[in-house]
Amino acid sequence: MPQNNSLQSATTDIVEMGRTITPALQQEIEQFLYHEAELLDDRKIAEWVDLMADDIHYFMPLRTTRGPRDRNLELSGAHDIAYFDESKASLQLRLRKLQTGTAWAEEPPSRTRHLVTNVRISTTAKADEYEVKSAFLLYRNRSERQTDIFAGERTDGLRRVDMPAGFKIFKRLILLDQATLEANNLSIFF
Amino acid sequence: MSVTKRNDAGAAPSVSLTDLFDEKSGTISPAIYADPQLYELELERVFSRSWLFIAHETHIPKAGDYLATYMAEDPVIAVRQKDGGVKVFLNQCRHRGMKICRTDGGNAKAFTCTYHGWAYDIGGNLVQVPLEQQSFACLDKKQWGARQARVDSYKGLIFATWNMDAPTLSDYLGDAKSYLDLILDRSEGGTEAIGGIVKWVIPCNWKFAAEQFCSDMYHGATSHMSPMMAASPDTLPGDPTDFSGRQFRASRGGHGTGFFVEGAEWLWRVGQAGEHVSGFDIAAAEQRTNLHRSGKRPVGFSQHMTVFPNFSIFAGANTARVWHPRGPGEIEVWAFGLVDKAASDAEKEQMRLMTLRTFSAAGTWEQDDGENWVEVQRVLRGHEARRTLFNAQMGAGAPRGEDPTFPETITNAFAEEAARGFYAHWQKLMTDVDGSFSKAGSYADAAE
Ligand code: FES
Ligand SMILES: [Fe+2]
Repeated sequence: MPQNNSLQSATTDIVEMGRTITPALQQEIEQFLYHEAELLDDRKIAEWVDLMADDIHYFMPLRTTRGPRDRNLELSGAHDIAYFDESKASLQLRLRKLQTGTAWAEEPPSRTRHLVTNVRISTTAKADEYEVKSAFLLYRNRSERQTDIFAGERTDGLRRVDMPAGFKIFKRLILLDQATLEANNLSIFF
Repeated sequence: MSVTKRNDAGAAPSVSLTDLFDEKSGTISPAIYADPQLYELELERVFSRSWLFIAHETHIPKAGDYLATYMAEDPVIAVRQKDGGVKVFLNQCRHRGMKICRTDGGNAKAFTCTYHGWAYDIGGNLVQVPLEQQSFACLDKKQWGARQARVDSYKGLIFATWNMDAPTLSDYLGDAKSYLDLILDRSEGGTEAIGGIVKWVIPCNWKFAAEQFCSDMYHGATSHMSPMMAASPDTLPGDPTDFSGRQFRASRGGHGTGFFVEGAEWLWRVGQAGEHVSGFDIAAAEQRTNLHRSGKRPVGFSQHMTVFPNFSIFAGANTARVWHPRGPGEIEVWAFGLVDKAASDAEKEQMRLMTLRTFSAAGTWEQDDGENWVEVQRVLRGHEARRTLFNAQMGAGAPRGEDPTFPETITNAFAEEAARGFYAHWQKLMTDVDGSFSKAGSYADAAE
């Protein structure tokens, strides 16, 4: 990813790949991410799945603790087990599971709060697609006092579409900052 | 029920351990899932005396490949040796006990302790000690290698034990072997591990997980109704009326398994759910697998199984896992995918997706298991809850089937015969003060 090392003020355009990240674009994409987070936290999962493009690759690899000789293996590979490796169809199946009323890990549902920050945008070779990195903190509480906290980074591929939300997500890479998952399951989305 | 220790003999609780599980009445005292002293006793009498799963052979194929794992609470390193064998040794420096390996896996030439620098070779032998000449009068390095466990393997699965008097792994597995073969030997060339181990924490006792995989087909209809409904929304699972399954209770050793046989409505449903998420055609794969070679009817994809104490497989989702105990009220699940070596790359990819989408931390089936066990464990904080007996009577007294294809089974997949076998063996170990029960010779004795 191209790096821009100079400090930017909120009113300064950032140039990536010869194109410009204007404060307006920065705000537009941040608002999209906040909208998406709100859908998840409001349990509007069907609407959230609608934000995924038909070619979505929703991927959350495993992370391991590695020594210097094997540091390149810290993330599990494309042919390894992952926490999530989802297509639109498999996300829709997850949605249908949640809609059955008998998905006990989310019935009654968890309370979640998706905090999204450190949003950095890069342009891509395609004028209508952006690569967006963000940091997240996801708080989840369910039942009486069962609480999980997840932190990590997302790298999203956003495609501009003619819809009120403005974008669809066609790629999401989620790096969880845990090697042993500190939760009894992942019945929520990142 | 509380467990207090005798004044004279250190570890022997004064409460009668024989009360904790009563096979005749089919009752379990929930204290066994919650009592810290019983847990300490389990570490000694169950885990240190049994064969424990370590890794699949394909996790560490080349010399120097290692995997840092656990035998119950004890951290160990499994390392492929230059001669092709595997050593498993305690991940504890003999100087002051620092971990000699602080990473999860990879390839090593040696393990050097980061505290004072003692270095161990890939066999666990102490080979280098800083300032040895200057500061140690005479250090016999041969005496100070890492503590070695005994290692054995069965069809690709590596196990280890601290019990030097234990029977061979083959004898330990006993009549459960032919049921493990349904998975491990179902196609030419056996199995290999998909890369990556999913590790997650469930605040529940290890026996809830191990017993369920050993014996509990029963919970599927309720606990896992949602992924089945999601896969085939038009037809609800309804009441399971097709009982054409089998449940196996090992005649010795606490192992158990259960499965449906050909044509069972349930098998079809499980298969359909898998196919829906991954495109993996279970029916076709089942036709291809080589249990047909051995003349057995296809069962593999519905099969749940536990090798006592804490290694389980669910063939339907190609998943194998260890339930590492972490105190009476917590486990770490370490799960990996197990696929047929003979499968094509495309099939392996489908199996990989099916595993992670169904039985894994985020799996649409497995999510709901954790939910159950967490709630059960939380209830057991209650004093009265801990002394209110559980019912494990299902299928009691059912006659063994006459089916020579599946020896030692009852003809009903919905039963708790294997669970009773699991707890009976657990109890034998827990009441075995001197360890004689888990010695090789005693495995020739009568069945439990
Ligand atoms: S503890 Fe390992 S060298 Fe001292
Ligand atoms: Fe289950």
